[in-house]
Amino acid sequence: MKISEQNIKNYTVVAIDGRLDTNHCDTFEKQMMEIVTRSNHLILDCKNLEYISSSGLRIFLVLQKKLMALSGQMKLCQLQPAIKEIFEISGFTMIFSIFSDLEKALES
Amino acid sequence: MPDQNSIRRLTFQNQLDELEKIHLAASEIVEQWNLPAHLGFTLDLVLEEAFTNIVLYAYNDKDQHEIIIEFENTGYTLLITLVDDGQPYDPTKKDDPDITAPLSEREVGGLGIFLIRKMMDDVRYERISNKNVLKLTKNYANEN
Repeated sequence: MKISEQNIKNYTVVAIDGRLDTNHCDTFEKQMMEIVTRSNHLILDCKNLEYISSSGLRIFLVLQKKLMALSGQMKLCQLQPAIKEIFEISGFTMIFSIFSDLEKALES
Repeated sequence: MPDQNSIRRLTFQNQLDELEKIHLAASEIVEQWNLPAHLGFTLDLVLEEAFTNIVLYAYNDKDQHEIIIEFENTGYTLLITLVDDGQPYDPTKKDDPDITAPLSEREVGGLGIFLIRKMMDDVRYERISNKNVLKLTKNYANEN
């Protein structure tokens, strides 16, 4: 799992690449918490996110709560079908703003 | 056509870094038994959730323990059995998280076992000879 970061318009766009499982979630959480200290308008680009388990879902939820507390905003885009299914089962599609592509996430 | 009557029994240590081996074993089984490719994601997920729960919560000691995972395929049904010698724990008794709660009230944990139940067709627990036996069944006849 690795992430890359770029600033587009007023957003920090974080692309997640690989598998977000129990053994990688601590690194991901630390990296994301560091980004949140600099930016509270995030878009997580999940185009290359291949896999997520409950440990990864937990971090998405922690981030969303944190950004809400900071009056920030977090959007998700380009979820692969299997990941989208997990989000639906978990009720996450109701608490996250999810977009089909990055342009739509940037414009909304 | 998936391979019928195939069975594989694997043993892992109670360490989270075994997850990588479990992931590889599951991918291999999907390929070698001609199972639908998307089952790979489901298998990865339920195995990770069940295995992680055992490693983190089943043992009171710091000793090394063996966790057995058995895969069995018969007639478009995949049965996965996890056996551990930890303290008795029945995950089927755990309450579901409230997935309709608004963000502010939404609890951050408790999704693992819920996901196993949602992704599998049947989840059964038994305590046999001082061991936890968790049986997960997936029917995939109508899936591509």
